[in-house]
Amino acid sequence: MAGGELEILKGISLEIKSGEAAAVVGASGSGKSTLLGLLAGLDCATAGNVIINDVDLGSLDEDGRARFRARNVGFVFQSFQLLPALTALENVMLPLELQGSSDAESLARHYLERVELGDRMGHYPLQLSGGEQQRVALARAFASKPAILFADEPTGNLDTETGQRIIELLFELNREEGTTLVLVTHDLVLAGRCERRLRLDSGRLVAE
Amino acid sequence: MSVTARRMLARDWRGGELGILLAALVLSVGVVSGISAFTTRLQSALEQESHRFLAADMVVRSSRGLPAEWLQRAAAQGLTHAETLQFPSMVYAGEDKMYLASVKAVSDSYPLRGELTASDVPFGEVQLAQRGPLPGEVWLDSRLFPLLGVAIGETVGIGEREFVIAAAARTEPDQGTSFYGFGPRVIMHYGDIESTAVVQPGSRVEYRQLYAGAQDAVDTFDRWLEPLLADGQSVVKVGEGQPGIDSALERAEGFLLLSGSLAVVLAGVAVALAARRFSERHHDYVAILKSLGASSQRVNRLYGTSLMILGGVATGLGCVLGWSLQAVFFVLFGDQLPLEPGAAGVRPYAIGATTAMTCLLCFAWPPLRRLGGTSPLRVLRRDMPLESRRAVTDYLLGLGAISLLMWWYSQDLALTMAVLAGLLLTAGLGFCLALLLLRGGRLVGMSAGSIWRLALSGLQRRGAANALQVVIFAMAIMLLLMLLLVRTSLIDEWQTQLPDDVPNHFMVNVVADEVQAIEATLRGKSIKTQPFFPMIRGRIMAVNGTNLPATQDVKENRRQREVNFTWSEQLPPDNLLVSGQWWEPGTQEAVVSLEDEFADRMDISVGDTVTFLVGAEPFDARVSSVRQLDWQSMQPNFYLVFPPALLTEFPATFMTSFHLGRSEKRFLNEFIREFPTVTVVEMDAVIEQIRTIINQVTAAINLVLAVILGAGVLVLVAGVQASVDARMQESAILRALGASRQLILGGLLIEFVTMGLFAGLLAVVGAELSVYILQTRAMDMVYTPAPWIWPTGLAFGALLVGGLGVYCCRRVVLVSPLVVLRDI
Repeated sequence: MAGGELEILKGISLEIKSGEAAAVVGASGSGKSTLLGLLAGLDCATAGNVIINDVDLGSLDEDGRARFRARNVGFVFQSFQLLPALTALENVMLPLELQGSSDAESLARHYLERVELGDRMGHYPLQLSGGEQQRVALARAFASKPAILFADEPTGNLDTETGQRIIELLFELNREEGTTLVLVTHDLVLAGRCERRLRLDSGRLVAE
Repeated sequence: MSVTARRMLARDWRGGELGILLAALVLSVGVVSGISAFTTRLQSALEQESHRFLAADMVVRSSRGLPAEWLQRAAAQGLTHAETLQFPSMVYAGEDKMYLASVKAVSDSYPLRGELTASDVPFGEVQLAQRGPLPGEVWLDSRLFPLLGVAIGETVGIGEREFVIAAAARTEPDQGTSFYGFGPRVIMHYGDIESTAVVQPGSRVEYRQLYAGAQDAVDTFDRWLEPLLADGQSVVKVGEGQPGIDSALERAEGFLLLSGSLAVVLAGVAVALAARRFSERHHDYVAILKSLGASSQRVNRLYGTSLMILGGVATGLGCVLGWSLQAVFFVLFGDQLPLEPGAAGVRPYAIGATTAMTCLLCFAWPPLRRLGGTSPLRVLRRDMPLESRRAVTDYLLGLGAISLLMWWYSQDLALTMAVLAGLLLTAGLGFCLALLLLRGGRLVGMSAGSIWRLALSGLQRRGAANALQVVIFAMAIMLLLMLLLVRTSLIDEWQTQLPDDVPNHFMVNVVADEVQAIEATLRGKSIKTQPFFPMIRGRIMAVNGTNLPATQDVKENRRQREVNFTWSEQLPPDNLLVSGQWWEPGTQEAVVSLEDEFADRMDISVGDTVTFLVGAEPFDARVSSVRQLDWQSMQPNFYLVFPPALLTEFPATFMTSFHLGRSEKRFLNEFIREFPTVTVVEMDAVIEQIRTIINQVTAAINLVLAVILGAGVLVLVAGVQASVDARMQESAILRALGASRQLILGGLLIEFVTMGLFAGLLAVVGAELSVYILQTRAMDMVYTPAPWIWPTGLAFGALLVGGLGVYCCRRVVLVSPLVVLRDI
């Protein structure tokens, strides 16, 4: 893909099967986040296609991709990305409401219980620790039952122990829900828990 | 999603930026609707005031009797009515005393509007009278008592009837200001006219029917009546107001409209700033929403809904504020107000609501609308640049909206242009100058201490943003300075117009032989008089050989009419030549100088030859100049001035004006006894009234100024807040690196004070231009330079911007850097 004169990703061709867990690894600046952005339909490639469940993301406009994301995609971010104005419960309800779900609240409550935050549903993100915020983010990601979950350095802002618990939770939920997982990380141990590892080096996919 | 919208509003309210947005909106609605309601009520009070001078809402007059059926018809339509008859008649006392008086017979319900006043003794304490004289009684003008040698309780004769003197007549609402040629007043009951047998067919009399009631009832009646009017009958609906009050109120109204317009501009700027910051802080929000699958329409709907909720709340609160503002004024000053404030109706609040909606649509919506276009990729890359290129179209849209609003609000193109010119000059000049100066800052500060280096590098780094901020500060300060300038010159003008010793009595009918004796008498009492002016009653007959119409119809401007002439070698003081030339002293030429409005009405200009008639003697004079008079000066003023040589052969009387304090009024009794032929006209009550009104209007103006100052400060707060985030982040990093409190606060102080100084400087330049255009083009005032505005503007800018800047950023040194960094 070319941003001005700069080509960030070059000649990448890969297929991820439904239910598979794939890790994208690589050094800072290798193009991991760009690839994630493209795969998740947050951005548009200048050349090439991204096809998820037979839908070519490149053929959709921004709002079409938004609708696609609402139905098919879940996210977990390094910086949690919870809306500070909303409580934990409301944050989890948000994508469900966007999907038009009729029982958003009960679903959200269920997933918050699942990530062991049943007693903190009314708390605002600022009143929660980093680990708790990421657990809210996990609940939010899985509550909308996405076909594919993208996780961008989910433990990057957490200490090792907390990070470890988040990872356990992530893989547990992933197994229960049968979600396809694409995980971007530079943590090789974490990457090792995935069935597939994709290494990016200066925008090229070097080895699997 | 509506839950999200409500939640978002609630959260942002706690965050502060929504507070500014709401405050800006509430203030704009409040100030605009408050000022508008205030002016509307004042205007309706003025209208009533003009009715006061008619003693009714509508008057029919005629030199012959008027049909009684009209009164019955009016009563049937719910109008109140009264009748008056005015005629000259001799009044007799005892065996040998008599005097020609101007008699007015009034019916029981007179006056329908305004008040009748009387006193127990001649020239005594004035008291409100509930009604006119009872049948068989009369009230006499104070000066008739010494002239006739009578006292209250004694009798006087009019025609074939004897009347008991019940009081001294002081003022009537419809006595008018043209006192020349009228004898002293006698008021009697309307039912007594017949018994006097003085009113015969062909007498010089004026019958009046007075009507009053609700506006639409009066209008309906008027429409019914007009087609029935015969020759010589006419309807009068607006009384002859006091020029001093009218002009003062007109300018005050101009000032209030200006304030309202400025409030609109300030509010617009504040709303724009607050909305911009609001939207900048929401880009991350929107990115998250979009990554979760919200479409741009959905985002737009969310922010549109929030904005509408906000607009609704702001309009409601603003209307309450506006209502309170005008109510506070009328509660504080209402009982002293001689004018009865009318109702304002809903229009002011509609104007306020429209202002809010326009501000929201043109200032708040553009940056918020762009939120919908935020890239969801921002969730992965927070450093993605925000699209701000379209800001230029926002500014243009805003400018257009502001101008239209201002124009709509003030209905005054000149005023709108004056404000716009100042704003554009400030903005244009300011932007260049600010960029230039801010870029040069680094060179100067290179070797300065670290506080200075920090401050100057801050200024430099945010050059473009700072320049924009300087311009916004400058515009806000400019508007405030402008208002301050106009207010000060208005109030100064009023004060010089009515000094404490302004002449409040006129003396007319002084014969030439008495002038010296009167001067001596007044000097003996230490009463200062104006010069004595000769006065000759004459008629204006023809222009350039063509006779003017000889009609009695007062609505006809060009007609033969009686005017007072005077003569003078010099241009009278306070007169201003607008065209032609003043004559050489001692000239023998047959020339005349005209007052400009009179010349306009009669359609006469310099060079025309006009024919006059004094007594039975016609003569011609060429118009050599046209003068402007100050009708508010309370000095004797004349439409027509001739060179002395032309008039000295005609018999003249003299007039002058003088000041008499309340305690000295009894002196008039002995004065009139000594000079019985002289007519003294009391103007002190009118002047007192003008003074009261002007004091109240001044208070109103100061109140409005204070409110606008509040709006201006709000804009400054919004402006400072707009840059707080970036500064907080930098300061927090510096703090984390161990910078001291003094270093950070000192740096911020220097940075903001420098910007404030620049803003103050630009504001003064812009304000000078605006005020110049305003005073010369829009408000009919004389431009007076005000050097004090320079230090005031600079100090105001430095103190306010510096103070607010440091205040808004103070949190950075009060809490730990980590908290600051996490919150941003």
